[in-house]
Amino acid sequence: MRQSLARRLRKWAARRHGTDQLPYAVQRRRIYILPTRFGMMLAALLIAMLIAGLNYGSNLALGFAFLMASLAIVAMHHCHRNLLDLTVDADSTADGFALDSAVLRFRISNTAGFGRYDLEIRGGDSEKCIFASAAHSTQDLSIALPSPARGVTRLPQWELRTRYPFGWFRAWTYVQSPIDVFIAPSPRGHRALPATAAGAAGPRTESRSDGEEEFAGLRAYRPGDALKHMAWKVVARGQEPAVRQYADLAASPEWIDWEYLPGVDPEKRLQQLCRWILDSDAQGRRFGLRIPGATVDPAIGPAHRRACLRALAAFT
Amino acid sequence: MQRAAATFARLGWTATSLAVALLPHLPTLPIWIIVTVSIAAAIRLLLAWHERELPPALLRLAISAIAITLLFIQFHTFNGISAGSALLALMAGLKLLEARSPRDIHIILLIVYFLSLTALLVSSSFGLLLYEMGACWLNTSILLRMTVAQAAPSVRESLQFSARLLLLSVPLAAALWLFFPRFAGPLWNLPSAESAAHSGLTDSMSPGDLSELSLSDEVAFRVRFKGAYPAPNQRYWRGPVLDQFDGHTWSRNDSGAPIPPDLHMQGEAFEYTLSLEPHRHNWLFALDWPGKWDSPRAYLTADRMLVQTDPVSRPIDLTVVSYTEVNDSEELSPRDRRQQTRLPPQRNPRTRQLAARLRAQSAGDLEFAQAALQLFRRESFYYTLTPPRLAQDSVDEFLFDTKRGFCEHFASAYAALMRAGGVPARVVTGYQGGAYNRFAGTWIVRQSDAHAWNEIWIRGKGWIRADPTAAVAPERIERGSVATLNPDGSTVNSWYAWSPWFEDLRLRLDAVRQIWRDTIVGYDKRSQLSILDSLRIPGPDSQKLVLMLAAALIATSLWLTWQLRREIAPAPKDPVVKAFRGLERKLASRGLARSTAETAGALAERISRARPELADSIRPLCREYNELRYGNNAPDAERLRRFRSAIRAFKP
Repeated sequence: MRQSLARRLRKWAARRHGTDQLPYAVQRRRIYILPTRFGMMLAALLIAMLIAGLNYGSNLALGFAFLMASLAIVAMHHCHRNLLDLTVDADSTADGFALDSAVLRFRISNTAGFGRYDLEIRGGDSEKCIFASAAHSTQDLSIALPSPARGVTRLPQWELRTRYPFGWFRAWTYVQSPIDVFIAPSPRGHRALPATAAGAAGPRTESRSDGEEEFAGLRAYRPGDALKHMAWKVVARGQEPAVRQYADLAASPEWIDWEYLPGVDPEKRLQQLCRWILDSDAQGRRFGLRIPGATVDPAIGPAHRRACLRALAAFT
Repeated sequence: MQRAAATFARLGWTATSLAVALLPHLPTLPIWIIVTVSIAAAIRLLLAWHERELPPALLRLAISAIAITLLFIQFHTFNGISAGSALLALMAGLKLLEARSPRDIHIILLIVYFLSLTALLVSSSFGLLLYEMGACWLNTSILLRMTVAQAAPSVRESLQFSARLLLLSVPLAAALWLFFPRFAGPLWNLPSAESAAHSGLTDSMSPGDLSELSLSDEVAFRVRFKGAYPAPNQRYWRGPVLDQFDGHTWSRNDSGAPIPPDLHMQGEAFEYTLSLEPHRHNWLFALDWPGKWDSPRAYLTADRMLVQTDPVSRPIDLTVVSYTEVNDSEELSPRDRRQQTRLPPQRNPRTRQLAARLRAQSAGDLEFAQAALQLFRRESFYYTLTPPRLAQDSVDEFLFDTKRGFCEHFASAYAALMRAGGVPARVVTGYQGGAYNRFAGTWIVRQSDAHAWNEIWIRGKGWIRADPTAAVAPERIERGSVATLNPDGSTVNSWYAWSPWFEDLRLRLDAVRQIWRDTIVGYDKRSQLSILDSLRIPGPDSQKLVLMLAAALIATSLWLTWQLRREIAPAPKDPVVKAFRGLERKLASRGLARSTAETAGALAERISRARPELADSIRPLCREYNELRYGNNAPDAERLRRFRSAIRAFKP
């Protein structure tokens, strides 16, 4: 009942608001607010206080009851304000593997001169993330969205919530900015990549004195990597150690091809392809992907890997 | 991420708040409840400290059931202030014992709010109000910390923020308080004579009752006379009339229906306004003898007590006209005569003998009554606040052995003596005297002015007053019990009476207290109507109140919205920025809001890309903005005006 109501409200809000440009500053008319169950308990308490004050004709008790009632109203305004004008930005895409979770990334900026507490962000069935946002601050958040099955899903909207200050009211707003979630198949399968494809691709981190080579991106440092390929700038920034990768343009690339797995169930095929992609990428080999309806040209690096995985996710 | 569970710190804060709210209840709460709540809190905190499991649910249930049963056995009800407060305290303590989730803590904090309120039902002192405001502030801060799960504000921030919220609540609270309709009586009948926290007269009198009461400095009522005020020996404030004696205690026979006596008032008339403090009984204290009063709910009983239909549970004001004399020539019915001369048989035999002897020496009832008063005057009776304790036959012991007593001893003995001699007699309790406060122009009557005297029935004269205390210690009537008893080093705590400076200070304080009582505590329907009248709004009163309440709600909502929005985006001072804000608002309403970091130039480019049709209008506006704002010359008025009108004309 509650869930279907919430779903209808989300649909109604989507129709009402259209799509939002990011970054989006939460607008006054877009914030919904309702009392929580605790708020209902407070209402009952306020009625009891009022009756007690009236019955005993105690003006001080009545004053106390009215102060509490006003406090509830003031709290309601503050709950609303806690979301008002909060600026949010989001990655319009997210990636993940089936039976795992995709990561949604958000950037929250609070330009107001007061801190905002007890904020909550969530999209679809994602876990909720509770955070605070200090005055004049910007922060990045990432939350996990469970991704049960392969495919591309569109998260039409996501939600900001708050129950600040006393949990008597819950204010929320829907941000109508779709996030495309690419869920690659989960990497499975033990077949070897057919040898025909595995050409002369060698370890990428070794620069070769002869032949043309091209900087192809960074990958995480593994013990044994040559120090001269360390991306020192990245290390200096305090990020994970990384090494530069080079694509050997002279070497013939390997292909990861749908046709290598004839007669296998399509989803299983995709899982095996995914496995091969991850392995090749991890070993720093240059590879391309061919599946019905899509071809990704041979390349190397994280962007290429993502492109391949998204192609698998989008396969229909 | 889970909302935080009940940790030691959270439980500690909750217990602190509960303790602060319970403090004003300590004098009235049964000891075992305080002990139970303390133990429950201590056990729960210890368990949390050692991160141990809660006691089993069955045990907790059993404890709750036993405690609540005990409570019911003690009070026979859960209704009323003392039983209600005790129940709330117990519930909070037991809830603390099983507190696990944030919801449990929330419930306790709500109970804490209610406990603060019940304390205010009992006492209306300014000090208590201040204390409870402080308690409310603390509880609100703790609630804030308990609600915010992640990255909660610091203790200091919580205190600041809740202070801010409470201050913002004050205007609306004040408006609600002023205009919320008040009723003349309670919504339903309260448990009567609920005297847990009230000292004052009751409907019975045993030796020692009044001397105990006379130690209390509490104000019973204040009186403002219109015109002249009576001499000290006329200032008898009539309270409960007691006409049943069991040999030790006088009590009230409440069987008689309220038959208004047929009285003819005569003598001097005094008009005055009584400002009665709540005492939770239904009698009122009028000067002997009340003739007229302005409350439709007050009436005179057959024994001439002025009573109200419901207990005095709130401060009330009452204007009364009293007369010094009353002509009551009606004959006493045989039933009344029997009732008013009844003494317990086999008690106080020596008193009976004395009465018989005096009776034999006197010609009539009046002579007999006077002879008895003479006896008190002649024999060595002492008026003292610390009389020896009396056992069963209290009158015999007092008259023949101890001979030392306070007014209730004299009144009790005199009435018994009269009844033994066949003269209808009864005990009247009330107050005698009062102190004039020249700073406020009122008379203050305190519990220490409590007094007991007698009325005897004489054929042809009716009930007349006889005060044996006046015979023994006439200065009691002239100057009050404190002044009478102090010189011989009694226990009355009246250090302030030693110095006129302190006495002055005390009276000034009482004048302030009286203003507090009249304006805040005594604010009622009448005061409300006079405010409405001064506002000159047409229409019936109830409609006016609704109108004012609605106006207050709307005004507060607008004010709050404005106040809070101002904090998000403070109004710019620069007229150029202010004008440009109008443009930004128009863009924002189309979903093209300018972000904080975006320059005017970048804004123009972005808009042009997103909405090419706007490019021609937005680009010059942004260029003009940059020139006006960052150009070398201060913008002249004409240019600024054109800029403003261009922005007004802009339609995204």
